[in-house]
Amino acid sequence: MSNEYDRSGEPVLQRFTREFLGEPNRYQITAVGVALLALFTLPFWAAQYLYVFALASIWAIFAMGWDIISGHTNYISFGHSALSGGAAYMTGILVHNVNPDMAMYITFPLSILAAVAIGLLFAVPTLRLEGPYFSLITLLGVLVLTQLVYIYGEYTGGELGITAVSTFTYDLTSLYYYTLIPMLLIGAVLVVVSQSNVGRILRAIGENEAAIESSGIDTTKFKLWSFLLSAITMGIGGAMLAHFYGNVTPSTVLVIDRSLEMVAIAVIGGMGTIAGPIGGAFVFIFLRDEVLTVFGSTGRWLALWLIVLFFLVFLRDGIFPFIWSRIGSIGGGRDE
Amino acid sequence: MLSEILTIVIVGAMISAIYALIAIGFTMIFGVGGILNLTHGALLMLSAYAYLVAQPYIGRLGGVITGVLVAALASYGVYMGLVRYIEEHVVITFMATIMAALAIQEAITMGFSQQARVLEPMVPGSIAVAGTRMQYDQLLAFVVSWVLIGLLWYYVTNTKNGRAILATSMSERGAIFTGVDLPQVRRQTWLIAGAFAGVGGLFIGRLQQTSPEMWLEPLTLAFIIVIIGGVGSIKGSIIAAYLIGYIETLTVELIGAPYRVVVALLIIIAVIMYRPEGLYGREYLE
Repeated sequence: MSNEYDRSGEPVLQRFTREFLGEPNRYQITAVGVALLALFTLPFWAAQYLYVFALASIWAIFAMGWDIISGHTNYISFGHSALSGGAAYMTGILVHNVNPDMAMYITFPLSILAAVAIGLLFAVPTLRLEGPYFSLITLLGVLVLTQLVYIYGEYTGGELGITAVSTFTYDLTSLYYYTLIPMLLIGAVLVVVSQSNVGRILRAIGENEAAIESSGIDTTKFKLWSFLLSAITMGIGGAMLAHFYGNVTPSTVLVIDRSLEMVAIAVIGGMGTIAGPIGGAFVFIFLRDEVLTVFGSTGRWLALWLIVLFFLVFLRDGIFPFIWSRIGSIGGGRDE
Repeated sequence: MLSEILTIVIVGAMISAIYALIAIGFTMIFGVGGILNLTHGALLMLSAYAYLVAQPYIGRLGGVITGVLVAALASYGVYMGLVRYIEEHVVITFMATIMAALAIQEAITMGFSQQARVLEPMVPGSIAVAGTRMQYDQLLAFVVSWVLIGLLWYYVTNTKNGRAILATSMSERGAIFTGVDLPQVRRQTWLIAGAFAGVGGLFIGRLQQTSPEMWLEPLTLAFIIVIIGGVGSIKGSIIAAYLIGYIETLTVELIGAPYRVVVALLIIIAVIMYRPEGLYGREYLE
C-alpha cells in the first residue's frame, strides 16, 4: 500500500490521484479527461443519441450501485431491481395515490428511503451467510415484489403500471444533463469509496472472506454498509428512472431481467471497478437500443446475452480495465 | 372437510413429486461439481418445447423421449460448451449460467413467440380419487418420479459408474485417489441431471404452463428446495421437495395463489437463519 513519509513532499493533487486512482500515467489521465469532455459535449456531436445516452446514465447508476456490493465482494445480487424498482414504485404510488402534483423534493427522499428499507429487509438476514444464499434471497426478493405489485394492483396499477409520473423535461439536451451530472457525482463518490480502504476490504472479502475475518475485521459490518450505500444509489436511480419514462410498470423497472441487465452491464464494463460499469452502461444501452435492433426486438436480447456470455468466458475483467491497463502500459510497461 | 384434506394430500403429493425430479438434478450437479447450475430451469423449458414440436409428428411416447433427450443433451452441451471452461471460478459460473438461461429464453421467444402454449396430454383422461378429479398425467408424474428416484438410487449404490458419482460428491480428492475419472463423472452427472430436468419439464409444461418465462419459477423452486434440503443431499432434496410442495398447496388453498412466493421466501429465510446447512447438510461429508 504505502509508505506515509514518502509522500510528505508531494503536491496535493498528485497525492490525491495516487491515493484514489493508483498511479495513472499521463496517457491514462488524458484518456479520462477526453472521456469526460466527450460526455459533456455529447449534445454537440451526437445529438441523435441523446435520449439513449440519458437512459444509459441512469443504467450506469444502477450498475455502479450493483458493483459497489456485488462487484466488489462477490456477493452476487440477482435482485437489485427490487431496490431500484421499489424506489420507482414509491414515486409512482405517491403520485398516483396521494397527490399527483407532489413535489420531487418530497418523493425523491421517500423513494430512496423505500429502496433502503427493501435493501435492509433482504440484506440483514442474509449478508451473514455465504454467497449463493444471498443470491437466492435477492432473486426471490424481486419475485416477491413483482407479485406484491400485482396483488395490490389497486394502488400500483398492476401489470399496466402507473403512468401519471411527470417526466423531467421534454428537452433532450436538458434531459441528458439531468441524468449525466447526478450519475457522475454518484460515480465520483463511489470511486472514492471503492479506492479507499473500505473498497480494499470489500474486494478482499471477494477474494477470501475467511482470511479477512480471521484478521479481526467484522466483514458483515462492511458488507452491510456497502449494501446501504448501494441501496441509496439504487434509490436515486430508481426515482430518476420513474421520472425519465414518466411511468412505472413491472416490466420496465422491476422484473428479474432488469436485475440481470445490471449484472450484464457491470460484467461488460468491468466488475469491481465502478468506472467500468459507467462505460459498460453506455456500451450496453447503445448496443441494446441502437446497434442490435437490426436483429429485431427479441433477437437483440439474444445477441446481448450471448455477448455477455462471451465476456464472462473470455474477457472476465471487462472492457474498461483492459483498455485502462493497455493505455497504462504505453511508454514504459508498468504492471497493473 | 375430510374430502378437502384428502384433496390437499393428493394434489400436494403430485406437485411435490415433480419438484423432487427438478431438485434432484440441481443438487447432483452441485454435489459433484460444486456448481450451481442456473440453466436448470431452461432445461425444463427446452424439454417442454421439444415435446410440443415433436409430439404431432411422432406421437406421445416419441414426444416424451425427444423431450428428455433434448434436455439431457442440452445439459451436456451447457457443460461441455460453457461451464467446463469456467467451472473453477464459482461466481463466474453462477453468473454465466443465468445469462445462458436468459439467452435460451430469448431464443425460445424468437422461435415460438411470447405466447403460452398448451401441451397435448401424455396420457389423456382423468379419474376421480376420493372426490378429487385428477388427470392421468398427474398420477403419471407421481409414479414416474418415484420410479426414477428408485433407479437413480440403484445406479449410485450398485453400479461402478454410479458409485463414482457418489464418491465424487463425498470427496473429490478421495475419488481421484481411488482412480475415478473426474471429467467423465462430471459429464455423466450433467447428462443424468438434464434427463431428470427433462422429465420434470414435461410435467411442468403439461400441468402448469409452457411459455418462454416458465424457467424462472422452477429454477427458484429447485434452488429453495436444495437449500432447505441441504446442498448436495439427494435425500434432503426429496424431503424438502415434499415439504415445499405441500406448503405451496396449502398456501394456494388457504391464502391464495399469488402468495406462494411470499410464503416460500419466509420459509427459506427462517431455514437459512436457523439451519444454514439445510435439513441434511452435506450428508455425504459426515
